[in-house]
Amino acid sequence: MKLTIERSSLLKSLGHVHSVVERRNTIPILSNVLLDAADGRLSLTATDLDLAIVEATEAHGIEPGATTVPAHTLYDIVRKLPDGAEVSLSLDDNQRLTIEAGRSSFKLACLPRDDFPSMTDGDLPHNFALPAVELKRLIDKTRFAISTEETRYYLNGIYLHVAQGADGPVLRAVATDGHRLAQADTVVPEGAAEMPGVIVPRKTVGEIRKLIDEFEGDVEVALSDTKIRFGFGQAVVTSKLIDGTFPDYSRVIPKGNEKELSLDCRAFANAVDRVSTISTDKSRAVKLSLGDDSITLSVTSPENGTATEELAAAYQAEAMDIGFNSRYLLDILGQVEGDTVAARLASPDAPTVVTDEADQAALYVLMPMRV
Amino acid sequence: MTRPAAADAPAAPSPAAAETLVGHGAAEAALREAVAGGRLHHAWLISGPQGIGKATLAYRVARWLLARPPGGTAPDAAGPGLFGDDLPPATAPDGEPASGAGGAHDGLWLAPDDPVFRRVAAGAHPDLCVIDRAWDDKRKALRNEIVVDDVRRAQAHFAATATEGGWRVAIVDAADEMNRSAANALLKTLEEPPRDSVLFLVAHAPGRLLPTIRSRCRALPLKPLSVADTVAVLSRHLPDLDDADRRALAQLSEGAPGRALALHAAGGLDVYRAMVGLLAGLPRLDRVAAHGLARQLSGKAADAAYRTFTRLLTDWIGRMVRTAARGAAPAEIVAGEAAAMTRLAAAAPLDRWVAVWEEAGALIARADRVYLDRGQVILALLETLAATAAGRRA
Repeated sequence: MKLTIERSSLLKSLGHVHSVVERRNTIPILSNVLLDAADGRLSLTATDLDLAIVEATEAHGIEPGATTVPAHTLYDIVRKLPDGAEVSLSLDDNQRLTIEAGRSSFKLACLPRDDFPSMTDGDLPHNFALPAVELKRLIDKTRFAISTEETRYYLNGIYLHVAQGADGPVLRAVATDGHRLAQADTVVPEGAAEMPGVIVPRKTVGEIRKLIDEFEGDVEVALSDTKIRFGFGQAVVTSKLIDGTFPDYSRVIPKGNEKELSLDCRAFANAVDRVSTISTDKSRAVKLSLGDDSITLSVTSPENGTATEELAAAYQAEAMDIGFNSRYLLDILGQVEGDTVAARLASPDAPTVVTDEADQAALYVLMPMRV
Repeated sequence: MTRPAAADAPAAPSPAAAETLVGHGAAEAALREAVAGGRLHHAWLISGPQGIGKATLAYRVARWLLARPPGGTAPDAAGPGLFGDDLPPATAPDGEPASGAGGAHDGLWLAPDDPVFRRVAAGAHPDLCVIDRAWDDKRKALRNEIVVDDVRRAQAHFAATATEGGWRVAIVDAADEMNRSAANALLKTLEEPPRDSVLFLVAHAPGRLLPTIRSRCRALPLKPLSVADTVAVLSRHLPDLDDADRRALAQLSEGAPGRALALHAAGGLDVYRAMVGLLAGLPRLDRVAAHGLARQLSGKAADAAYRTFTRLLTDWIGRMVRTAARGAAPAEIVAGEAAAMTRLAAAAPLDRWVAVWEEAGALIARADRVYLDRGQVILALLETLAATAAGRRA
């Protein structure tokens, strides 16, 4: 294997893939990145056995070949090389990779490519293209609600499936941790109608979210019931899925909540943030007292004292007090795009539905706390 | 970061990379049959003495399962054949000793250049999860037990889909190293096995496992190898050793090639010769030689040699009692041994020797617990033996 590549493009590609490789690894081959040179391109592969990222980048002077080298070491070397340098890589017969740029020269010990885990694509029967902005929206609006509790492992991801929306089928992302639920819809892309419902693991969600920011256009999604692949042009992420059944979430979205509240989202978020400063316990509960066109937020802490703040709101139903976890409220309010947030409540011990005036295709459910 | 080998780990090649397995043909056949019949139990308890190839068997069957096309039992789309399913044609390597039922060809052999073999050996197969004692960064040593976090890795493994669409396999090596909470955490997986998954528990002492774990596994006890089979394994791994030494190692290891290799690596044969030399002189103890041995085996660097010696000594007393009780002629593993054994066995009643054997075991265990001086432990053991051989109570 032999090739020459520009330092900046190698660094960019390595930057994308090396974050997947865990720093502490007891298995040597798993700390490595696979370099595969062929057809005028160098492709880099990194994996943690649950997901793999492959990124291809232009290179020249290629003699085809492949090997694996420690990912973080290679990344650090390339990072410290001067900007604009031409980096040449060559593999010798003793399985050592020589990296040369200007007057610097490094030799790295390699491991054979055959030992490297393969996340072979296999058969992914369902293919569709999803605009990057839509995928980003689906992820951002639901990701915060993903559970971190390992016993209910089937909640440790975003449930991506085709569901029946108000006006026909929609592609829906749902995440919940049992205390709150977030749901976001988008139009069903061509080719997705028959797809099975899949649970995309949290780590995969994080990795694709990082790649979306630098990408415009359509993300190529391909999936089967055991694997999913996201293609971002030159970078491709392949991941295992969570093998479990996502709960029937539609049952927990209340349909009959009639007490409607709407208020300025930013003012509400700021007020929640301010009053919760005083709370010291882990739950960080904030009490909302709903009255005639006004809402009073209050927090009482046995150690610190009390905080209250009053806000104007549109509320006509009978007065009531309800408590929420302030962090959960702020997570939801952070995803609301419009100026106004609307909530439909039933009683102080029943789930509340929160909607966004500017994005009717997103919906949040929040369980109240006893205060 | 590479993990250095543990001091007490067998010096044998890693079971993940071992191509051949000798002497467990019947167990391999049982596993094959279970797969062919489409009713592979989800958890197998592979038990037997340390070093006889339990983990090697576990990796072997794991590889074989992972190399099969997805779809559980059927080797091809047409489903299982009328006459059981055939392996893809594979030729056993030359010099492969026949392993019980018909040689390696019928067993669970997979070519070492097969991609699955390579990845399993490198610890990089996405559908195989190995639970063993983890590296403790704080103590810079392997942990003494498998903790609950290690077992949770297996749970996460089974919670994710199989990358290659086939089996998901986990190996617990060794199950008797699990602490109580780890064992309880594993129980959950054993009770609600996910589909297309199989768990192999390797256990040196299955009696130490929770009964609830034992009862959920299909038992697959492995027997120690014959001396001839052990010699065959040794001649592959230690081709330069002379035949007499190989045979002595095979006899000392009691049918466990892994132990024989570990013994060889720790210089066990020399320690054994020195020990038998001392024992042959009893009841008069050669104090100069005894002190020399004690000095040589104490200290941090001699940890493996110390463990080898204490084990060899207790084994030797045990062997002496057993052969004397049966009235059999003792084996001559190294020169002069049989004569010494016969003479010592006659010097004191057998129940006294049994008591000595027990005391020795207790002293060695206590030495580890409270960090007794190892040189003194060795001297105390030898003095006890000398006193018993002289017909006195120590």
